[in-house]
Amino acid sequence: MSHKKVTMDLKEQKKIKRYFSLIFFLLIVGLAMWYVDFNFIELAKSIPVFLGFIFTDFLPPNFSDVKKYVGPVLDTIFVAVIATCVSSFLAMILAIFMASNTTPHPVFRIVCRGIVSFLRSIPFLLWAALLVVVFGVGVLPGLLGLILYGTAFLARVYAESVEEIGSECTEAIEAVGATYVHQLKHAIIPQFIPSFFSWTLFMFEINLRGSAILGIVGAGGIGSLIKGTMDLFQYSKTSTVIMILITMILVVEYITTRIRERII
Amino acid sequence: MAVSQHSVKGSRREKISIGHKRTQRQQRIFFFSVLILFIFSIVMIDIDGSAIAKGMERLPVILASLTQISFEHFLEMLAGMVTTVVIAFLAVLFSFVISFFLAFLVANNTTPNRYLGLGLRYAVMIIRSVPTPIWVLIAVASIGFGPMAGIIGLMFPTSSFLIKAFSAQIEEEGTEVIEAIRSVGGTWIHVVFKGLLPTILTGMIATLGVRFEIDVHESVVLGMVGAGGIGYLLQSYIQYYDFANLTLGILIVFVTMFLLELSLNRIRALLRTQSS
Amino acid sequence: MSTILKIINLTKRYNDETLALEGINLEVSRGEFISVIGPSGAGKSTLLRCINRLIEPTSGEVIFLGQHVEKANKAELRKIRAQIGMIFQHYNLVPRLSVLENVLHGRLGYMSSIKGLFSLYSEEEKEEAIEWLRKVGLEKEIFKRADELSGGQKQRVGICRAMMQKPKLILADEPIASLDPKSAEVVMETIYHNCIELGIACLVNLHQVEIAKKYSTRIIGIKSGKLVFDDTPDKLTDEMSRFIYEGKESEMYQHQ
Ligand SMILES: Nc1ncnc2c1ncn2[C@@H]1O[C@H](COP(=O)(O)OP(=O)(O)OP(=O)(O)O)[C@@H](O)[C@H]1O
Ligand SMILES: [Mg+2]
Repeated sequence: MSHKKVTMDLKEQKKIKRYFSLIFFLLIVGLAMWYVDFNFIELAKSIPVFLGFIFTDFLPPNFSDVKKYVGPVLDTIFVAVIATCVSSFLAMILAIFMASNTTPHPVFRIVCRGIVSFLRSIPFLLWAALLVVVFGVGVLPGLLGLILYGTAFLARVYAESVEEIGSECTEAIEAVGATYVHQLKHAIIPQFIPSFFSWTLFMFEINLRGSAILGIVGAGGIGSLIKGTMDLFQYSKTSTVIMILITMILVVEYITTRIRERII
Repeated sequence: MAVSQHSVKGSRREKISIGHKRTQRQQRIFFFSVLILFIFSIVMIDIDGSAIAKGMERLPVILASLTQISFEHFLEMLAGMVTTVVIAFLAVLFSFVISFFLAFLVANNTTPNRYLGLGLRYAVMIIRSVPTPIWVLIAVASIGFGPMAGIIGLMFPTSSFLIKAFSAQIEEEGTEVIEAIRSVGGTWIHVVFKGLLPTILTGMIATLGVRFEIDVHESVVLGMVGAGGIGYLLQSYIQYYDFANLTLGILIVFVTMFLLELSLNRIRALLRTQSS
Repeated sequence: MSTILKIINLTKRYNDETLALEGINLEVSRGEFISVIGPSGAGKSTLLRCINRLIEPTSGEVIFLGQHVEKANKAELRKIRAQIGMIFQHYNLVPRLSVLENVLHGRLGYMSSIKGLFSLYSEEEKEEAIEWLRKVGLEKEIFKRADELSGGQKQRVGICRAMMQKPKLILADEPIASLDPKSAEVVMETIYHNCIELGIACLVNLHQVEIAKKYSTRIIGIKSGKLVFDDTPDKLTDEMSRFIYEGKESEMYQHQ
């Protein structure tokens, strides 16, 4: 009997706890809305305005300047390619230092983790904006911004993949008297390759989107076209650029998916 | 295979290749084509050498001024950071409400109409491929500067991300449950609320956590294009070369992201212990 | 007969509490084929891994060919490990590499970091590896990927890898525990015949007393970290093996 009562109490407690968390959650939502002067009426009014804007001002698209877009579009792709290659190379080295099963020394691990988590927490657009100050308007600051962020992002996911590799192969290679370098080359790298491909391709997708918006802070590519046309209220041209962007991203996504499927 | 056999039995001087042919070929093709793409891109892109040189000259000065941290605008920045987080929070919240229902319309195994599901799926795909800052630029252009533009701008990519993730989760885990409920004559509403919701709720919350982290990140960026919050301040510091304040701003962003990650990890761990 | 391995008072303590090995004394001579039996958790794997220091012993001495393993520095340890082959329960092959590459890994202990990094195995080594694979009946699998093989085939690759080391001693940690009876027999035969033929001393952890009796020149019984039996197979009576396995089982019942 007493046993039953205890479980009832527990259930009751759980219920009360749940109510409290619900109230707490609603309180936070309320506070959040109050903080930014949010109200639903405004939201309800804004969304139609927003959609109306897209459908009236943006459409139909104006294709008159398409030829002028070729250069920036290619630049966007090139920047994404370079950023992905460079950051995957740097990240690979960092990841080996960072992963618990490959780190040469725990101190490396901690230092690299610190650097990486700092770089990763700052949006690349902020890096790019800062680097525009250093290197002036152009492709370079955007490229470096993407590399900074991409290296940190990849280092973390690579390190996680390396850590997921079981100790079995490394143990066997260690047991034959192999060196640290041998272990990396013959046990870690072969096992890591599939996730390396997969994450690097993913990074390329991210970088392509990133590269496309760098222009907003003055770092070249498609983004400058978007910003430029919008600043001049030439929205029908903006929509053409955005359509090119969408096509480009979907095509690349299709290709990377196909590559991923084929990698075994 | 035939070639390799030959190389084993063949003349002694011939070198034996030891790798697994198909795996090796795949890797070589991948690395080779990436290398070509990389070199081509480097050649094609015009990076101004003098810009690098000048930049490198300027770099020490800028780095030095970045170390002079100033706490003058601390409170203002803190308020900005809160705005940034709040924008992301509300955007995720509203997107959750929208995508929760739409996901059931999109997922193969719960959609009431196949063509509706397919149409929505394509719409989601297209919305997702437009980067978030562009949505915000459009929002700012149509409804003006401020948090509302940020929230609306974020809602589109966030909803499409969530719809995609949720529908994948429903497709992955739902089929058995759906069959069980359908077999006893349950309706669509039954399937969704009685059967699926309990099984996928934990996964959904985890996805929300991931997206919230992304959105705070995006929200910082959005401030830079006119949606309020700390991004706006950071952008203006950069514009006016106000590096002392910029440093503090960057640190605030870093600390916030760090704390956010910690607390999300904790929530994830909690969910894991609860579900098991 | 010459002594290959000598273990004196070996003790291993995990996390300052679990005493996995306690005062083990053991001498292994050339040509011996020794089975190590004992219940699960007795410390068999720990014993084997302490010999080549995949696990650091807490105290005691391990002397391999007159050299103190526990005192060896990095370079010395490499040389020692190169001469000790190891066979694992889960084969521990690198799944995404070819069978031949996996066998050639046995040579890494004799190669410099640079040579190993670029896989610069000599043609003689490659031919020897292929010869070993032929010998264990895997000539059709040489260029397959390791993850394409069956369990029994994988273990035979593991044996070839160990043999490529030209070892003086082989440590096999439950080599047949994950195999069906037929493959298990093939694997045991392969290990046994090659070790006897080449005069390699062998320490095999086994769960099956019958198999231990069939192959061993000597059997060692370990129970809760202590050596409780060390004699020829015919001395291992049913009573004795019951004693070795008994304590643990009754403990298991208590837990349930
Ligand atoms: N890495 C470790 N950390 C802590 N304790 C360990 C570790 N490895 C083994 N042990 C403990 O040491 C004892 C001996 O383990 P060992 O793996 O050597 O047993 P075993 O005889 O090989 O068992 P089995 O037949 O199940 O493989 C066990 O009580 C085990 O819990
Ligand atoms: Mg064991």
